[in-house]
Amino acid sequence: MPSRLLPAALFVVLFSILPGLIAPAQVAAAETSRPPFTLSAGRGGDGNLLLTWNIGDGNYLYRDKIKVVASSVDIPVSTPPGDIKDDVNFGSVEVYHRTLQATIEGSALKGADEASVTFQGCSERGICFPPMTRIVDLATLQVRTEGNAAKATAVEPAFAAWKPSLPSEPVASQSSGFPEFSGLPAGWGMLIISFLGFGLLLAFTPCVLPMVPILAGILARSREPLSAIRGFALSTTYAVAMASAYAVLGVVAAWSGQNLQIALQTPYALGFMATVYVVLALSSFGLFELRMPAFATAGALNAPRGTIGAFAGAATLGFTSALIVGPCVTPPLAAALLYVGQTGDIARGATALFALGLGMGLPLILAGTFGSSILPRSGAWLLATRQLFGVLFLGVAALLIGRIVPPAISLAIWAALLIGAGVFLGAFDPLRHRAGAVVRLRKTGGILAAIYGVALLVGAAAGANDPLRPLAFASSGSIDHRGLPVRTINSPAALDEAMRDARSQGRIVMIDYSAEWCTACKTFERDVLASPDIQRKLDGITVVRADVTATNKDTTDLMRRYDVVGPPTLVFVSPRNGEEIRSARSVGDTSVADFGRKIDLAIR
Amino acid sequence: MIISRRDALVVGAVGLLPLLANIIGAGQTWAAQEIDTKGILHDPDAPESGNPKGNLTIVSFFDYNCPFCKRAEPDLEKVVKEDGKIRLVYKDWPILTEASVYGAQIALGAKYQGKYLIAHNALMSVPGSKNDKATMTKAVQAAGVDMERLEADIHANADAISGLLHRTHAQAESMGLMGTPVYLIGQFKVAAALDAAKFREVVAQARQRQAGR
Repeated sequence: MPSRLLPAALFVVLFSILPGLIAPAQVAAAETSRPPFTLSAGRGGDGNLLLTWNIGDGNYLYRDKIKVVASSVDIPVSTPPGDIKDDVNFGSVEVYHRTLQATIEGSALKGADEASVTFQGCSERGICFPPMTRIVDLATLQVRTEGNAAKATAVEPAFAAWKPSLPSEPVASQSSGFPEFSGLPAGWGMLIISFLGFGLLLAFTPCVLPMVPILAGILARSREPLSAIRGFALSTTYAVAMASAYAVLGVVAAWSGQNLQIALQTPYALGFMATVYVVLALSSFGLFELRMPAFATAGALNAPRGTIGAFAGAATLGFTSALIVGPCVTPPLAAALLYVGQTGDIARGATALFALGLGMGLPLILAGTFGSSILPRSGAWLLATRQLFGVLFLGVAALLIGRIVPPAISLAIWAALLIGAGVFLGAFDPLRHRAGAVVRLRKTGGILAAIYGVALLVGAAAGANDPLRPLAFASSGSIDHRGLPVRTINSPAALDEAMRDARSQGRIVMIDYSAEWCTACKTFERDVLASPDIQRKLDGITVVRADVTATNKDTTDLMRRYDVVGPPTLVFVSPRNGEEIRSARSVGDTSVADFGRKIDLAIR
Repeated sequence: MIISRRDALVVGAVGLLPLLANIIGAGQTWAAQEIDTKGILHDPDAPESGNPKGNLTIVSFFDYNCPFCKRAEPDLEKVVKEDGKIRLVYKDWPILTEASVYGAQIALGAKYQGKYLIAHNALMSVPGSKNDKATMTKAVQAAGVDMERLEADIHANADAISGLLHRTHAQAESMGLMGTPVYLIGQFKVAAALDAAKFREVVAQARQRQAGR
């Protein structure tokens, strides 16, 4: 029911953006879809753990079903006496209405990090809920849902074939903020509003963050005095260009069925963009003045010199940075591209994508407008700011180049950049005796940059590839990924072979679409795939990594086979019929909990 | 939520029945696009009773440690019997207790000796929400199920039984069911224990809606 999920998701989005604007009636409607019990944890003055349940009206909890386990040991819980419920069908049970507070002595939980709290109840209207388990983090007192509730009911060997995984949460988990959908909303208004909303949600992810320094750099390079209006105009130009680039993605997808962002991850395009940023950086350092060619300004004789250039520059950078700098495959993007690819409806797809891009750009416009007043107007500070952004431009260039060169070389480039920055910050300049705090801080920053650079250089020489852990090789040499064997393929034929092998063993296949230039894929591998929970769950699953780094017929066919828009996308294929288990697909950034749920769906 | 024309009709129908308005799941039809309607209505392994050629189907999702299911069961059976044109599908959905799984397994195992309904009724008539396996075994045995054969049948058909339980669980989850009992009555999803009068009312409404299509 895609068309119904979306508006629901929209509410999620709106809630996160416009709290208070939604009528309470809709909140109530949303609540009927989940069990009417909420658990929170607190500390008593004496170090005791206090568990408090809010019990929805007309519902009750059983006293004798409250169970707490920490470090695999049952923990004694003291609960107040409940109301006695005596009924021919129930027998005599003790239950709680409205609210319940249980106490656990602090000493009983010594040494445990988490406590798992199980409880069960019914609604008076005549429905009983399965046991629910929540995990209480004993350090932060945060309460979360258990990844997989199945272990709460270990069936004894008599007839143990079936392990129920209890529906402790609604099926369509929306914790990531995005719905699983494959269509687009019906009305134009809904379409635009929802994609604007999705864009806003994406605005604070790595998809957009690299654009912040770029935009700031554009603003800092401005030769006019930077007013809020000019800041607004420049950043709006940038954001609209970015949104247009997204719309172009839709048009190209309709023509060629390809995601242009991915097609552009070629050495030429990346190399070209990196060059552009290096040039921008050098110009920021004052090595030369960048001027737009005469034909670009000829049409606007009345405009002050440089104005048109600045806007054209902002537009160009906005357009290209959306296409090349931040290629981010996210669920809304995938949905819109697939929609266009399947229906050929360019207008709707492009509109949706334009709205998505605009949503992503809105915070940039705000930052550009209000941040403009912070930027220095003239003098030494302006010079320093420009140089700082010059370094950031070089960083963007390094980021782009990092996608096409081996990891060690990428590390070395970063090292060079950091050491260079350190030198210019004065890391190796002698400090005068009377030097002030600013100079000393500058030197501190310089030295830190230089040291980090050296660490990266050492790491590169030793073959490390993680810029955050360049010296990991020094610690017991276990940089390798633990656990499951992963078979890497890059052609449909190789995929077929891998699938045949898995099918003959009756194993589910998980195809992990990944690419060297895909930062989100690396994060997924490191933070999600390598987690022990996930490794355990993937035990009976054959993991095949489809490497789509290169753009050629093989990789295009690989992606087309399962309608994959780009990496990271995880596709599960059933051994029974060789078809995808669609409910389990995961697109874009994900978390251990969310991905765990996907695996549960796949192996169910 | 956007309300489609079809949903609006349902909401209207429910509006005529203020009594039932709060128990028929928010006026929703359960048979949405993504849901395996055929599997829910016609799973070859799921036991059935009532009139196999009836013009209305009721699908009951229940658990043998669910007091509300037990309370509603006699009324449901009564309405199915007196109506004469209802097909009743049993969905053993053991989610409440560990012993519930065992209960479902012995009931479904009894099917192989033609005694599913006997075992089912026996288990449903043990009151309470915390019966253990021993109590369930005793109830089924007392009702006249051949226990040796039951054990052999369960072992021989372990895959079929666990397959059925898995399917039922998946179906329940696909509809977003949160607990037991749930009755699918025609197009309506009723997540509550009803008495005979209310069962009759919903049945009448469901027929009316079927006729109106």
